[in-house]
Amino acid sequence: MEQLLASLGQNLFVLFGLLAVGAAGVMIFTKSAVHSVIGFLFSMLCVAGCFLALQAEFLGVAQLLVYAGGIVVLFLFVVMLVELTKYQEKGIFQTQAKFAVPLVGAGVLAFAGVFRGILFGPNAGQALVLKLGLEGATEHLGNAQAVSRGLFADFLLPFEILSVILLVALIGAIVLAKSERV
Amino acid sequence: MPSFSAGLWENLSHDIHYIWPHILLMVAATLMLWPLDSWLMPWTKAEKHKWALPTLAILVATLGLTLATPNGLGFSAMYKVDGLTKGFQVLCILGSIFAVMLSQNVLGALQEHTVEYYVLILLGTSGMLFMCGAVDLVTVYFSIELMALCIYILVAYLRHQGRSIEAGMKYFLLGAFSSGILLYGISLLFAATGGVTTNLTELNQKLALVSADKNLLVYSGVLMVLVGLCFKVAAVPFHMWAPDAYDGAPTPITAWMATAPKAASLAVFLRVFDTGFHNLSYDWTAPLMVISAASMILGNVAAIRQQSIKRLLAYSSIAHVGYMLLGVLSKDAQAGAQAVWLYMLSYLVMNTGAFAVVIYLQGKGEGERIDDFRGMGKRHPLLAFAMLIFLLSLAGIPPLIGFFGKFYLFLLAVQQGFTTLVVIALLTSAVSAYYYLEVVKQMYFKEPATEDGAECEPMDPYAKWLITAACTLVIIGTAFGPQLLKWTDDIRWFEKEAPKAAVFELPGK
Repeated sequence: MEQLLASLGQNLFVLFGLLAVGAAGVMIFTKSAVHSVIGFLFSMLCVAGCFLALQAEFLGVAQLLVYAGGIVVLFLFVVMLVELTKYQEKGIFQTQAKFAVPLVGAGVLAFAGVFRGILFGPNAGQALVLKLGLEGATEHLGNAQAVSRGLFADFLLPFEILSVILLVALIGAIVLAKSERV
Repeated sequence: MPSFSAGLWENLSHDIHYIWPHILLMVAATLMLWPLDSWLMPWTKAEKHKWALPTLAILVATLGLTLATPNGLGFSAMYKVDGLTKGFQVLCILGSIFAVMLSQNVLGALQEHTVEYYVLILLGTSGMLFMCGAVDLVTVYFSIELMALCIYILVAYLRHQGRSIEAGMKYFLLGAFSSGILLYGISLLFAATGGVTTNLTELNQKLALVSADKNLLVYSGVLMVLVGLCFKVAAVPFHMWAPDAYDGAPTPITAWMATAPKAASLAVFLRVFDTGFHNLSYDWTAPLMVISAASMILGNVAAIRQQSIKRLLAYSSIAHVGYMLLGVLSKDAQAGAQAVWLYMLSYLVMNTGAFAVVIYLQGKGEGERIDDFRGMGKRHPLLAFAMLIFLLSLAGIPPLIGFFGKFYLFLLAVQQGFTTLVVIALLTSAVSAYYYLEVVKQMYFKEPATEDGAECEPMDPYAKWLITAACTLVIIGTAFGPQLLKWTDDIRWFEKEAPKAAVFELPGK
């Protein structure tokens, strides 16, 4: 039973991962902006599914709340507000498809080669096992606790840098959008 | 046994000494955003350009703090202070100081003075300081993002000019794309080592031991990190954004982009490839050699046809990056870092000098096309002489300081066995002399197109000082060129790893 569950988890991970990639493809290749946003939403949901399959419930739920709940709604607002049809008529979108498609195909083939050994090689699945905590953490540590340890102990410096990045983004939005400069 | 929070506090109070310069920059920048200036600096109420001087003061203080920082490793082995960190941090701060000095009058003339401009320079500088000391791929990634985000915004700063917006947009899209590639490469390496570490020293040990079926994974990870970093230094073939971004940005920002972020990115290059991927040099030497050669050739050849001096300097900066990558290729990391640092130092001074001349001329109502330099030798003899010094130095003509930078770098590359690359570098240097001397020819041997004698604009005091200072520095550097290598010999660029930071105690144990 345990073995079955373990293999189920792994299979679920691969399934959700493939779905996420497919949804990302829909997001890029569809012509309508609203469909793109829906594809993005689906992709994010599948990534949340990946997290859940790796038993990282906290990350999965955070992913659901932040992306599906917040960011996608913002995206939809922007898409509704901006009139994209007039740009579509000008034909400025997808003008380089004939170069891009072969390149993407070549990239996909290359990475299929890279991952073949990981997914079907002798040590298949080893990379998919979640290592709880990076340093000294144990299994009995809760999910949220593991994340907070990561953020405030091991990854304190990147976390603080990230907060400054958000501040810069805020300043940048104001600098670029303010109508008058004093 | 200390609790988790006590352990956190203990580590923080121990490690915080390494990042005082960054803290000063960030706190000062945040305070500048508050509308407190009329209380704190009441004497500047009438002036519109009051922010340049405080910014300069903060940067100089940061420079002092940086030099006083103790060496060591901190923040769970994510940030390290050693010779490489400090050396390149000094270059970054100098680049920012020069950019701020140049900004005052340019912004004044465009009526675009805001405090946010200086705040973004300060925050971007703090990102660069983090980049110089980052010894963990996660820190590398986030600090690169911090720096890059500030630059995207500053490139698009003149948002009433179409080309500024276009440049900012192009740079942002390509930069975001390259960040994605870099991050994907990092995640592949993380997976290849079994998902336990992103620390460069540990990666170096673990990557050499991965099983054969993961070799491709490691190879593609290393290549993607290489591509992501090459985007940041604008090495061919990942240079497409550079000419447009340099051309569209406000000229002080162009001067800044050509020097400070390059210094920080090269520090990351040296750190990642000479410590993190040192055992994997077989994987990245050949691609990096191709990139270096392509940057030298394409940068120099494309510069010949440019009409705008900003675009010319943009292409020449691509070529200079190609030369500096020779130092990254060196198997002797210590000597490589030394040669790159010396080259970057000379490049910083002479390139900023050249941009200062361009800005000075713009302040006098002259254009930035190369044709506009016609007859400058008669109109502004001193300025033309300074420009002559900078251009000859950039071309690497002996005995100027640019020559010594190139000489040390090429000598090292020959010693390391990259003879073909050095031959290419020498040939392309000859090409570069052609287009630099073309500008000189315009200045001294061509008559000005129109004689309107636009001398009415006030002088830009900062730019004048900076031109004088840079020119003096180049000449002094020239005099001491032969000793430069000896002086920097004593700097230990890569400190041996200190013992790893304490592992936190678990709660409830």
